[in-house]
Amino acid sequence: MRQGHVSARFGRRTALAAGMGAAAWPLLGGGAAAQQFRGREIVATAFGGPSQDLIQRMVFDKVQQQTGARGTQTPLLSAQAFARMRAEAQAPQIDLFMFSGGQERAAKADGLTQPIPPGRNFGNVPAHLKDAEGHYIAWGLVTEGILYRTDKVATPPRSYKDFFKPEFEGKIAFPHITNGYGTDFLVMLAKTFGGDERNIGPGFDAMKRIAPRATIFRAAAEVQTLFSTGDIWIMPYDGASAMRSSAMGIPVGYSVPEEGAPYVTLMGCVARRSRNADIASAILDGHLEPDVQTAIAQQIGWAPVNTATQLPADVAKFMAPTDKLANLDRDLINASRPAWTERFNREIATR
Amino acid sequence: MNSSARRSLVAAGLLAPAALLFALLFVWPQFRLLGLSFGNPAPFGLASYERFLGDSYYLGVLANSLALGACVTVVCLVLGFPLAFLLARAETRWAGLLLLLTTFPLWVSAVVRSFAWMVLFYRGGTISRLLQGSGLVPPDFQLLGTFSGVVIALAQVLLPIMILTLYAVIRGIDRDLEHAAMSLGAAPVVALWLVTIRLARGGIMAGSLLVFSLSVSAFATPSMVGGARAHFMAVTIYEQTLELLDWPFAAAISAILLAISLAVALTYGRLLGEGREEAR
Repeated sequence: MRQGHVSARFGRRTALAAGMGAAAWPLLGGGAAAQQFRGREIVATAFGGPSQDLIQRMVFDKVQQQTGARGTQTPLLSAQAFARMRAEAQAPQIDLFMFSGGQERAAKADGLTQPIPPGRNFGNVPAHLKDAEGHYIAWGLVTEGILYRTDKVATPPRSYKDFFKPEFEGKIAFPHITNGYGTDFLVMLAKTFGGDERNIGPGFDAMKRIAPRATIFRAAAEVQTLFSTGDIWIMPYDGASAMRSSAMGIPVGYSVPEEGAPYVTLMGCVARRSRNADIASAILDGHLEPDVQTAIAQQIGWAPVNTATQLPADVAKFMAPTDKLANLDRDLINASRPAWTERFNREIATR
Repeated sequence: MNSSARRSLVAAGLLAPAALLFALLFVWPQFRLLGLSFGNPAPFGLASYERFLGDSYYLGVLANSLALGACVTVVCLVLGFPLAFLLARAETRWAGLLLLLTTFPLWVSAVVRSFAWMVLFYRGGTISRLLQGSGLVPPDFQLLGTFSGVVIALAQVLLPIMILTLYAVIRGIDRDLEHAAMSLGAAPVVALWLVTIRLARGGIMAGSLLVFSLSVSAFATPSMVGGARAHFMAVTIYEQTLELLDWPFAAAISAILLAISLAVALTYGRLLGEGREEAR
């Protein structure tokens, strides 16, 4: 996700289902506007892997068919994408940026974005998942929680306090702080033990207790490897990874901690000097179509943000319900990141 | 136009394309980077340098990287010299093929190679289990995330560079010199030490410098095999550039790494150079 490509299988059957779903789509803006963007081109960042394939098929190809705008997705991790957005502020090579690390707020604050003309589905997205001035809008959520080996752990974990159970000693892995889930784990530990984003000390103290015997990893690609070795039984990560692991035959379950599930928003925003905000709006609106939202949830594991979407139960179990979400102060977290990273390197990621 | 002027004109013409490319794609960005490193506070601030040099954590990272460079160089030299010597002196038509075989690690992408090492180095991986079985390490030991693990993985890929450099130099040494030493009563080991190794100094120096500079600046292998607990310069630069977006600080770390590597290279070169004078 934030750290590398998604590795779910994207078979022919799912591709077919996706194609059929896309065919059921209503025409964008009606027949009169057909081919309104003919001859134009839009470049967007993507999270790579099967999500990019799915979105290419269900959103970009569809928009091209209906408006004539050709779309290109280029896989770029959020941090790199933001670095690129900053570097190319004067002459953007990329129009539409997809961020999963909250970079859209910094981008807006730095004057790197522009308002996006609202699409048909924008109204169905809850207010806290979009910018009041229209500079960015979410099209998916990744809900975090506790992943565990269902064959090794008898009682499913229910709380961040479960990481301190003696039977898990030496069986814990957690992501590095530069992986967003690592930061969220730190904040949730702080909240569990009487601190919060403003008072992160209890989080570091708690982490220090498990760190010496835990495996600290950087890349999302390591989640499956760690679980499949049998050495690791429990880790804080996202429901999508649990879904992917279980699809690969590794018995991994997901549980929503009672302290709440932190989540990542998949946000779209448009470079300030891009001339394709209108096409970007159509693309984002395409992401928000209920059938696209369902397909993304089923095949990638990202929860829908369009409240009109109905999810099947076997998909919903890998996602935290919206009333169990923990709303973290992302601005404060982003502002604290350099200091926390330094502290993490000195106090947690030691030999 | 006299012939020497013409010759230097031709030389300049031949050098120009490479020099231009080098200036444009290396020297100029390097100066920009240096400029950026003084960007805190603008226009000419030393805050980034003070932050690095005044902090024992970052000095530790620097020491770690230099130690990594030194260890990998020593390992490559110790393993590479006998092999290069053997290959250079082998009177078989397979020598070329054998030399080609030693370059195999260079044919694989750094990421793939590091992943392979990770599999071997995990707690349940073959190499970690062998070590656990030997009783030398605790039962849940893993090489993944250790300094030694990074040294092994880096030495594997840099060994061919050492071997190729040494091979060329040892091939160029006249065997009659060794024979002369031995006919004058030197034992083979003494002849190897007094003649071959001393004459191969240039190759040892070039190979060591290549391996050293490539290991202190390596990123993929230290980051993947070293994991979160091994702190090295290149990984720190990456973190500051892409994760924390502190470009002036990242530029300052790069400049410090460059300056220290250059200093080490020059000192090493001078030491070996003096040795060569002495040998004459």
